Amino acid sequence: MTPQLIFLAFFGGAAVWFGIVVFRTHSMVRSALALLFSQTAVGLMFLVMQAEFLGVLQIMMMATEMSVMAIFMVMFMMDPGGMGAMEMTHQKRLSLWSGGIGLIAALAVIWLGNWGSVATEIPDAAQQVADLGRELLGRSMLIFESAGLTILTAMVAATMVAIAPMKEKSK
Amino acid sequence: MIFELMIALTVGALMFGTGLYGALSQTNLVMIIMGVELILAAALVNVVAFWRYLHPDEPAAQMFVLIIMAVMAVEMTAGFGIAIARFRSRGSVEMEEARGLKG
Repeated sequence: MTPQLIFLAFFGGAAVWFGIVVFRTHSMVRSALALLFSQTAVGLMFLVMQAEFLGVLQIMMMATEMSVMAIFMVMFMMDPGGMGAMEMTHQKRLSLWSGGIGLIAALAVIWLGNWGSVATEIPDAAQQVADLGRELLGRSMLIFESAGLTILTAMVAATMVAIAPMKEKSK
Repeated sequence: MIFELMIALTVGALMFGTGLYGALSQTNLVMIIMGVELILAAALVNVVAFWRYLHPDEPAAQMFVLIIMAVMAVEMTAGFGIAIARFRSRGSVEMEEARGLKG
């Protein structure tokens, strides 16, 4: 048992457990916080796998994203604290079967597949960031710029949809 | 090292299953977005594990992680845009009340 294996299992278990808590609690704020902890545990898994840049990026990005999500929860929900224990699920059986079949299919591929030889040495953190920078500004530049433009377009489109005048007001 | 890869991929599979269950079972739009976020997080774990244990010399894998993060941001932006529009017009983001969107 290497330290990497132990920490990977620990943070992986935390990520899955908090992911389950998201859908088990009646409180929407707790759901958003559980998702934040789950995503943070994923970021910590990245750090354990020696992807320092991606790990820190994941934690910073998800901390902001989930805080925004918690604010939206409080804004939109009739019962954000979950005190009324409202039922907010439907088609539970179908969902359980779909999730279960997806899980079993993925586990079968993982545990029955032949992954070949596993790398033991990886570039250090500074080298990884340098390589990623060259990749982003080299052969993957078009893809990276397209992603940036897509985010910008989504932001403008979402704002336009959100502020569009309602029918009652336009009369 | 192969066990580390298996553990990471298993975590990804469990997160995918949980996210799929959440996205299909929840009636609230924001909770559905949370389910999709979990599915995308599972994809992130898998890509980083493949990079670390199978192709550590390939920076394109890390670039792909950034693309998935961009997809997460776009999904959340579009989802909340629709949620705000829906809340302003109907006062609710319950998807049970949005059956008319089926067309």
